[in-house]
Amino acid sequence: MKQILRTAQKQGVESTAAGFTRTQKRMVRFSNNSVTITNSWLTETPTIYLVSNKRRAACMLEEQDPENLKRAVEELAKTMKVTPQSDVDFALPQGPFQYQPIPGTYDKKLAQAETELIDAVETAVGAATKEGAVRVSGVVTSRAWERYVSTSAGAEGSHNGTEIDMTIRAFTSDDASGQGVTVATSLQQFNPEEAGKSAGRIAKMALNPEPGQAGKYDVVFGPSIFANILNRVADSASAYSLDLGFSFFPDMLKRKVASEVFTLHDNSRLPYGPASASLDDEGYPTQENLLIGRGVLETYLQTSYTATKQKAPLTGSARFEAGIEGMVPAARNLILQPGEASLDDLIDKAHDGLYITNNWYTRFQNYQTGDFSTIIRDGVFEIKNGKITCPLKGLRLSDNMIRILQSVKALSKEQHWIRWWEVNTPTLTPYVLVEGVGITTAKK
Amino acid sequence: MSEEFARVAVDHALRLGAQYAEARVQRDLGHTYTLKNGAAEPVSVTRKLGVGIRVIVDGALGFASTNSLDKDQLRSTTESAVRTAKASRRLLTSPIRLSEEKSWEDNWEAKMEIDVSKVSTEEKYEFLFTIEKSLAPENVHVSLPSRILIFDEDLTEKFYVNSEGSKLHGSVPRLSLIFYITAEEPGKGVVQRLRHEAQSRGWEVVEDWKPTKIAADEAKMLGRLLREGVPPPKGEVDMVLGSEVTGIICHESCGHPQEADRILGREAAQAGESYVKPDMLGHRIGSEHVTVIDDPTLPNSYGYYMYDDEGVKARPRILINEGVISGFLQNRETAAELGGTSNGASRSSSYDREPIIRMGNTYMKPGNHSLEDLVEGVKHGIYMKSFMEWNIDDRRYNERYVGLEAYMIENGEITTPVRNPILEITTPGLYGSVDAVGKELEFAGATCGKGDPMQGAPVWTGGPPIRLRQIRL
Repeated sequence: MKQILRTAQKQGVESTAAGFTRTQKRMVRFSNNSVTITNSWLTETPTIYLVSNKRRAACMLEEQDPENLKRAVEELAKTMKVTPQSDVDFALPQGPFQYQPIPGTYDKKLAQAETELIDAVETAVGAATKEGAVRVSGVVTSRAWERYVSTSAGAEGSHNGTEIDMTIRAFTSDDASGQGVTVATSLQQFNPEEAGKSAGRIAKMALNPEPGQAGKYDVVFGPSIFANILNRVADSASAYSLDLGFSFFPDMLKRKVASEVFTLHDNSRLPYGPASASLDDEGYPTQENLLIGRGVLETYLQTSYTATKQKAPLTGSARFEAGIEGMVPAARNLILQPGEASLDDLIDKAHDGLYITNNWYTRFQNYQTGDFSTIIRDGVFEIKNGKITCPLKGLRLSDNMIRILQSVKALSKEQHWIRWWEVNTPTLTPYVLVEGVGITTAKK
Repeated sequence: MSEEFARVAVDHALRLGAQYAEARVQRDLGHTYTLKNGAAEPVSVTRKLGVGIRVIVDGALGFASTNSLDKDQLRSTTESAVRTAKASRRLLTSPIRLSEEKSWEDNWEAKMEIDVSKVSTEEKYEFLFTIEKSLAPENVHVSLPSRILIFDEDLTEKFYVNSEGSKLHGSVPRLSLIFYITAEEPGKGVVQRLRHEAQSRGWEVVEDWKPTKIAADEAKMLGRLLREGVPPPKGEVDMVLGSEVTGIICHESCGHPQEADRILGREAAQAGESYVKPDMLGHRIGSEHVTVIDDPTLPNSYGYYMYDDEGVKARPRILINEGVISGFLQNRETAAELGGTSNGASRSSSYDREPIIRMGNTYMKPGNHSLEDLVEGVKHGIYMKSFMEWNIDDRRYNERYVGLEAYMIENGEITTPVRNPILEITTPGLYGSVDAVGKELEFAGATCGKGDPMQGAPVWTGGPPIRLRQIRL
């Protein structure tokens, strides 16, 4: 990293953020109750972010040769010099900073785990089939990483962490399935048995589904589908999305965007948080950010570029992303404040409605208005007179993000961590009751 | 790119007890240039070079990768692939096998007439600024509060060897241009348009894209849509779908469900399974007008490749022939399981990803009709030329396309713009409604997502305009 800073300085670059990540990642995938592949990756990734005279340039370098690194910085600096100027003159956060450690983010046993992943698959598949699943698919992934950041503005620090997550999808027939998820920062907290049980239970309940009907329903959202929605909310609360015109929160700061019972935090400093880190990729100390408090949009997540542009304080949210802006503001651990209800209370309160456990394929008709649809997947159930009755199929949620947020009526006390294929940012969420949700179906 | 390096990994895996091994050294060099509302975003560079090793040990499949090109690390990575595969044997219900395939030694490339890496940064930004100028309010007569213009270049080079004697060296340049335009009209709201032009060619492609005309035409269309757009009619209509919509339909509801790994359940926990079952070859799924092909060998196409990432030679695949399911996309693993040989559909997006079944360029075979012919035959209907929102369930049966540029068809003529008409339909319902197919074949670029970890595959989606009868909006 020192070489990156030195080379950039020699090239006349005003400000540089150098990063280096070493990641050991392992994965076991399985389907039809059988392992399909084991994966292991060892990757060392230097990142370079240059800022100079209203210009920016970024490079992710998955190449190991130190000479290549030097050459990459030189080429990047030269390219940046002929890049047109952007709209903002800004500098990286001025260090040095003190970084406070976060408890519970690293487990040595998890960092070294290998056969434990295969054991976890066996446990989860066994638990799901015991509940009645006929066939089971899924993935278990472990990560151990060290990240170093050093900037020409005097910030320097590092963080490390471990994380393991499993998604398990159990089938009782081709059109009846259930999903379970477990996410943890240590092997001790990791619970593949419960994930398997949960998937198997939902799949069994989902057997013999009836075609659902289009209409407006009061819906109890399970943690997996609501985590997907919360990821979209956090994306929209990123000042980068706002800047690009991809946010459904334009000019809504300090305005009511959700119901009173809705409070959402992004906490990068959460003890035992799956993506916690003590500093961001611009070297700024991380913090807990209140995104939406009692329904009011309180914060857009910022980098030093967007913060300068919007005259807003830094939020410790800068993340290096290859292939796009270079440095973008992004959430790390999303936490939706729970309520007091039980799941049964929510189902009772919905009275006549739907209980939806999962979704996939969320797409926007218009990012600014928030009009979107998403496919309901795995167990979805009719609620009649406050009780779950029959399983349904063939439904699509077609609605508007702001309308959904404003129609949240109640939340459960019980919370679950979710991270899977459709939920990139780890999210701790309760079950959520939303009124009047639009549901559509195929018409031919 | 080192043949020796890949060979070391394969030999080491065999010594460790693998019955099959392959290694792929892959370099990717990407540059992204972006203009946001006329101001430059950071130039973003991605450089990746590493090796991925895949082995079969006693019927268990293992993959490992590293970006350290140190031979000790390479051996250690190979050991990891073999060791974890061995450890997983106890959870195999049946051994994984690969189909018998011919081995190849070849060098292949998609050629650039003008090497994009030799074109100056200034010229690339000038290209984007020219497009930006074409979007000026006096030219397009609508307010465009957000204009994102992206030029992206990716140069991929692969060296592949396997333990059966294949040795392949290939390179592909992929260039793309993405417009993301938001238009606004007071009291009428906002509309957004994403358009993706992409090919495997050199810098010479940018003129062929006619970018200033495309951008200005799209912006003018958005303005007209905002000013004149009416809500879609209710009830039953006939529909004419533009090439862009036909292309996404073929990709989503033919290409994906006919990927054999989905059919066999391997992607069940992520991208899902398929309504298509192994015994559905020969099953009628649409009208006789529907023939869908996936062809990675189309010259200059965004999904172009000559050999797949299992060393199998690429070829066109007919997926639906005159309305009948006629083939699946196969890799060596699914071909062995279903009986037969691979048709070269195994692709990997990077050195650190296992190869999985992917489309190349999926399109509907053109017919004989002009667009005017198709429209003439409609008394009351909708012409949906482009789309914005779309999705499909994970069995690829229940799909939805929301029109962006769309018009009423009245008595055989295209008339008023329509806002957000929704085609929500099943796969057999859709293909069974096609009564005529146009003759003008067009393609759009796309990045298809699949796999865990996610792999973005460059593809073309394409087709001619098509006509659907008796659709309920």
